[in-house]
Amino acid sequence: MSDSWRFISTIAKKEIIEFVRDWRTLIALIVIPLLIFPALFIALPLLLQSEAAELDAMELEVVWQGDVNDELNTSFAESNLIISYEEMPSGITNLSDIGNDLDRIRNQETQAVFRLLENESGWKFSVLYISTSEASSEARSRIIDAIIEWESGVVNGTLVEAGLDPESTLDPVTWDGNWEVSDAATKGEQAGLALSLFIPMVIAIWTASSAIQPSIDMTAGERERGTLEALLCLPCSRIQLLAGKWLAVASITSAGVALQIGGLLFAITYLASSSVIGIPSVSATSIALLLGAVVIFAIMVVAFELALAMKAHSVKEAGSLLGPAILFIIFPALFTQVINLDSIESWWFAVPLVNILLAMRELLLDRVIVEHVLVWMTSSIIYAGLAAWFAARQFKREDLVASIS
Amino acid sequence: MRILSETLLSLVGVGKSFKEVNALTHVDLEIKSGQVIGLVGGNGAGKTTLLRLMAGVMEPSKGSINFQDKPVSSMRNKLGVVPESTGLYSRLTAWENIRYHSRIYGIDDEIAWNRVNHFANLLDITEALSRHTKGFSKGMRQKTALLRALAHGPDILLLDEPTAGLDVTSARTVRKLVGKLRDEGGTVIYSTHHLAEAQQVCDRIVIVHNGTIRADGSPEELLLATGQESLEEAYVSLTSDKARARSEDGKKESKLAKWWRRFLTGSTPDYKEVGEDE
Repeated sequence: MSDSWRFISTIAKKEIIEFVRDWRTLIALIVIPLLIFPALFIALPLLLQSEAAELDAMELEVVWQGDVNDELNTSFAESNLIISYEEMPSGITNLSDIGNDLDRIRNQETQAVFRLLENESGWKFSVLYISTSEASSEARSRIIDAIIEWESGVVNGTLVEAGLDPESTLDPVTWDGNWEVSDAATKGEQAGLALSLFIPMVIAIWTASSAIQPSIDMTAGERERGTLEALLCLPCSRIQLLAGKWLAVASITSAGVALQIGGLLFAITYLASSSVIGIPSVSATSIALLLGAVVIFAIMVVAFELALAMKAHSVKEAGSLLGPAILFIIFPALFTQVINLDSIESWWFAVPLVNILLAMRELLLDRVIVEHVLVWMTSSIIYAGLAAWFAARQFKREDLVASIS
Repeated sequence: MRILSETLLSLVGVGKSFKEVNALTHVDLEIKSGQVIGLVGGNGAGKTTLLRLMAGVMEPSKGSINFQDKPVSSMRNKLGVVPESTGLYSRLTAWENIRYHSRIYGIDDEIAWNRVNHFANLLDITEALSRHTKGFSKGMRQKTALLRALAHGPDILLLDEPTAGLDVTSARTVRKLVGKLRDEGGTVIYSTHHLAEAQQVCDRIVIVHNGTIRADGSPEELLLATGQESLEEAYVSLTSDKARARSEDGKKESKLAKWWRRFLTGSTPDYKEVGEDE
């Protein structure tokens, strides 16, 4: 084993051991990344489903004002609405004028007020509700559904009375065949498109944010705790020290990203089993390039964060520097989501951060365009090199020792 | 076996500046094997800077520092350093802290363990080696840092104020260890504020004041050179000029920083010498 590798691996190993000995770190490193996607894709929909089912089963009280229609009344009863009837209030300018009903709707004494009036031109109605209440919104929704159904019956009846076929009269232009099979993209490609809209963003943001704490702990934290001076007295060079710390932060961050992707794959498999989404079809070349893109991105981000943290004189100062720096990752990540990948100019693949995110999007769509790959790979390696050079400069500063005292 | 009185470390015309501040000016020193050398001086005298230069973690602005004719920065594996802050990792045990450094020095764990145990008995810390250093007292931390610096068998041990903040018993144990190392032919550079301690432990005393070496010799030689009856009087006569303000980083507060500080915390009276108004 060469001296260099012994220095780097010993430093990295110690940093990792020390970092994972904190149980809070373990939760942040393993549990959260592992559970975030299953929680988002499986638990959240299940929770929403159960909430929706609970809302569906709920009996809602509605006040019916004005004229009564028997058909509608039956439809309401089937929708779990408990109706109480009242006269149409006087002094209102139109049916949407809440008038004296304001307080009882706001206080939720009733979930909604339904007003119906028949005149010579037909029926007029309104539903008074409070949009900030789920029960009130649900009552309005059930009333509207019942009215649409009733209106459809009225319209169809009128058309039949006039000797017309309701279907051909109301829907004269129709799709022929099954619209789902007319898409040339496979299920896997469609899944790739869906995932390409958020996976690059998640990887970018997670890599950058999960590297912050170890970067600070291993640099400004060491300075603040007074452990850096003893470390600098050892017979390894500052570059080897940087490399060791980089390896540790990159390993910790990679573990987080890998677990997160593992959780994502589990969630996708679960969703695929319920036919919500297909398994993305990505070639081996795309996967290899994707991993390469993530590695280069991690080299760049971790080196940059280590450099910034080493520049700081305390943990607090490092936090103040690195916290806002995350915005430089989040904004390009959001921006990249709206860039159209069809006929995209190659120079986009040379823009810092945007290039890696675009590359990830393209690769998830299984598009390996040689020109784009060359541009993003070359430019990213240059940026990663610059970040490493910046970090090396920070680690070589003499005042790293002097300012501790 | 090392030849007695072989020159291990030589400093020739060494100067160190931090921007506009001269921390050290023209230091010439020769460290021979088998000696315990005390660097004695007040706060801001330049002791720590001198130790850091000798440890190879800083480069001199002027002059050269060689370990056996090679730049000291390339010979750090021959040195053992205990900085003032000790620098222990609280989530590691004492032995893990020691092993971390000895592995970087390329020492086999078993060899390091045997060596550490030899000195751990002397320091009465053997049982604490498997404990996390989080709850360690200052004395325990200092002893662990000493073991860590000794684990790879250094040719020179550099100690920055090793007894500062220690209780009497711990300080005595540390001094006893230094004495033992001297008896075994070891070389120790020992920085301290306390003249009496230096007199007790060291064969040779180097008095550092305002970044310059004011005296260098055995306690007897210092008394002879100054014509004083006690070392304390000798020290006072050698360092009678006013001590400079401590400013190792050489940074001055910018106008903007000063304005911002005053904006946030209110102004503080400007410093004036007593009697300046009169």
